Amino acid sequence: MSLSRSPSPVPGGGWASPGLNLSASGRSSPTKGYSGSNGTPVMWESARLKNTGRSGYPSFSTQNQGFFSRHMRSISSNLPRFSSGNQTPYAEKEKLGRGQWSAKSVPLFGRLRGIMGRMGRKVKIRLIVLLLVFLAIFVFYHSPLVYYWRRSSWFGGGQKFVIILAANVGGGVMEWKGAREWAIERDSVRNKKKYVSRWGYDLEIVDMSTKKRYAHEWRESWEKVDFIRTSLRKYPKAEWIWWLDLNTFIMEPSYSLQDHIFNNLERHVYRDINEYNPLNITHPLTDSYLDAESRSPVGDGNVNSVNLILPQDCSGFNLGSFFVRRSAWTDRLLDVWWDPVAYEQKHMEWEHKEQDALEQLYIAQPWIRKHTGFLPQRMINSFPTGACSESGNDTRVHYDQKDRDFLVNMAGCEWGRDCWGEMYNYRELSYYLNRSLWERFKEDLVAVAWFKLTGQKAKL
Amino acid sequence: MHFAYPPRKTSNPPPFLPRSSPSSSSSSSSSKLPGLVRRRRSHKTLALAGLAFIALVYVVIRLGGRHGAPGQHKPSGKPTAVLVTVFDEAKYSKPYIDMVKDNRIQYAQKHGYQTFFAKVGEYELKGAPASWTSVVATRHALAKFPDAGYLWYLDQNSFVMNPLLRIEEHVMKPARLEELMIKDRPVVPPDSIIKTFGHLKGQDVDFVLTQDKDGLSTGSFVLRNGDWAKFLMETWFDPIYRSYNFQKAETHALEHIVQWHPTLLAKLALVDQRIMNSYSKGGKGAEYKDGDIAVRFIDCTPQGDKSCESESQRFAQQWRISFKNA
Repeated sequence: MSLSRSPSPVPGGGWASPGLNLSASGRSSPTKGYSGSNGTPVMWESARLKNTGRSGYPSFSTQNQGFFSRHMRSISSNLPRFSSGNQTPYAEKEKLGRGQWSAKSVPLFGRLRGIMGRMGRKVKIRLIVLLLVFLAIFVFYHSPLVYYWRRSSWFGGGQKFVIILAANVGGGVMEWKGAREWAIERDSVRNKKKYVSRWGYDLEIVDMSTKKRYAHEWRESWEKVDFIRTSLRKYPKAEWIWWLDLNTFIMEPSYSLQDHIFNNLERHVYRDINEYNPLNITHPLTDSYLDAESRSPVGDGNVNSVNLILPQDCSGFNLGSFFVRRSAWTDRLLDVWWDPVAYEQKHMEWEHKEQDALEQLYIAQPWIRKHTGFLPQRMINSFPTGACSESGNDTRVHYDQKDRDFLVNMAGCEWGRDCWGEMYNYRELSYYLNRSLWERFKEDLVAVAWFKLTGQKAKL
Repeated sequence: MHFAYPPRKTSNPPPFLPRSSPSSSSSSSSSKLPGLVRRRRSHKTLALAGLAFIALVYVVIRLGGRHGAPGQHKPSGKPTAVLVTVFDEAKYSKPYIDMVKDNRIQYAQKHGYQTFFAKVGEYELKGAPASWTSVVATRHALAKFPDAGYLWYLDQNSFVMNPLLRIEEHVMKPARLEELMIKDRPVVPPDSIIKTFGHLKGQDVDFVLTQDKDGLSTGSFVLRNGDWAKFLMETWFDPIYRSYNFQKAETHALEHIVQWHPTLLAKLALVDQRIMNSYSKGGKGAEYKDGDIAVRFIDCTPQGDKSCESESQRFAQQWRISFKNA
């Protein structure tokens, strides 16, 4: 006899392989073993020994083989008994319909029909409405349908948003990538994945590892531009791209981008940089050769012409979390963002590379100013207390759990702060703030009451 | 053991109410039931109508709430074209400058164009060479004529020679442009690896200029008014290029940005030099022949024996005659 694969042992101590006739399956009582299909049972020597052995148990297996075999008896005796045909013992028959309820006499369907028949019409309608409501709640909030619902352009519009997450920063080339770095990456990615699957957005995780290409052309950290371009091509339905650095954590996954920002864009976005101007940029431009729109502090004033939305931190633009809209303007910006002549003149001053380059473009180019909007930093980019800490706690900049800020960006934590510690704290805080009702009941009520009564802390 | 019998039905069941259909008996309509039915029916229609209304409102809100593309200003083409020229009144004599102005104005009047004359020194250049004025002046013209169709920048040392040719037909008509544009030509001759696009459509071209022997020539170029034009002029005029000391100032800056930024190159077409940029002498580029739209005086100085004014004498009579005859 030939086997297509080598036989492998099964926990019972035999060999699960086709064509082998086994009966030592670990059970105490011999079962009707399946005989070999070819009629000539082949047995391994050890199996034969076991089979013929006096004990009846395989030598290396015990009787306790898992939950079901251990509790089979107690479980089966607790199950409701259904009398099955002629095997019903005589004594039972006599008590028919009295002591023990018998399913056979009134079938389930019949019973239901009976209940329905006795119900009034109004009750029926109400029941049906109730059923429909429950069904709708399930379909729209708990089934996978909700994902597609939220993605579709008609209902949720989620496919208009793509999140780009910059992962694997440096790729361990310049600095050692240890367990903490991996943990940060894992947490950050999981956080965004959950958020994206909840709201039907797309997530693009990009690899920011140090590449020779950019290092050679002196354009480290301008990869951003290339990645945004690639994503625009990869997701043709995307309208807004949201760039996120790795050290960010979405604290409130229940906020959708639409609700939080885009449905009321004109209310949230400010285009006149004088509203908050840490860089002291002269605005608006006053050159006589420009048109009225370029000289106006708010561009054309129509919120739909905003193509780049970014927050400002205490020291200027912050590109850790920003939005760009698909448009011809964006193509142009991504194209002129890196320029060798600008780089050659400025790379010694530009500590933050592409961020400084953007500031420079904003200052010099009216066409960029016209289509740039700013968001209050704490809407999409709150800082932990460690960042921007020179002037103490700033309500414009720093995370406040009372206000349930949307996102925390541990900006600059790699320069002397503890990235993983911050990430862990904010992760736990986010879980704590977003506990479900049941968790709140357990932890805020039961555990507290228990503590008052017994003086012991209970872990529920 | 026995159970209670179910209650009996009465022996005298109540008679069923006769079925009432609207056609059968009008007398039954006075009874209670039809009124109830009618009320229920009206409830039903009311509910349906309400539902339809809500759906309608929803659809309208959805459609109305769609963000369209921001309403860009579409130039209406009045005037069709604007001639831009920058004059250096400090270095050149007044009669010469007046003659050039006269040439431009006559050409513009012929076709209903406008002229835009700027002066060197009018704009703050932050220490950059004066030739940068041409770039900022063109940007100024874009702001001043938001509805102009095209802009033709023509250097001061040049004459329009053929008043019959209109810029929007001679150069910018898409079909004509597709014939004229030189594809796959190195942007900077002879060996730049960046070449003009080979698959450009006439209507996508917003910027037409020529090459001479040295490279791109910025003495005469045509620009289609629009967002892109502003983008080009502002990028070109970036302070970072002005402070870089390009050997040929704005000309080399243009060569630089066009080679590094494909969004700029994608709207640019090179045409043969004699289409709009003939030179008064051969050697540096194509020489002027009768019938060309314009002539530029090349290798001339503001003053002295090789002055532009003396060079212009050869063409001064010619353009006046051709304008008179046209």
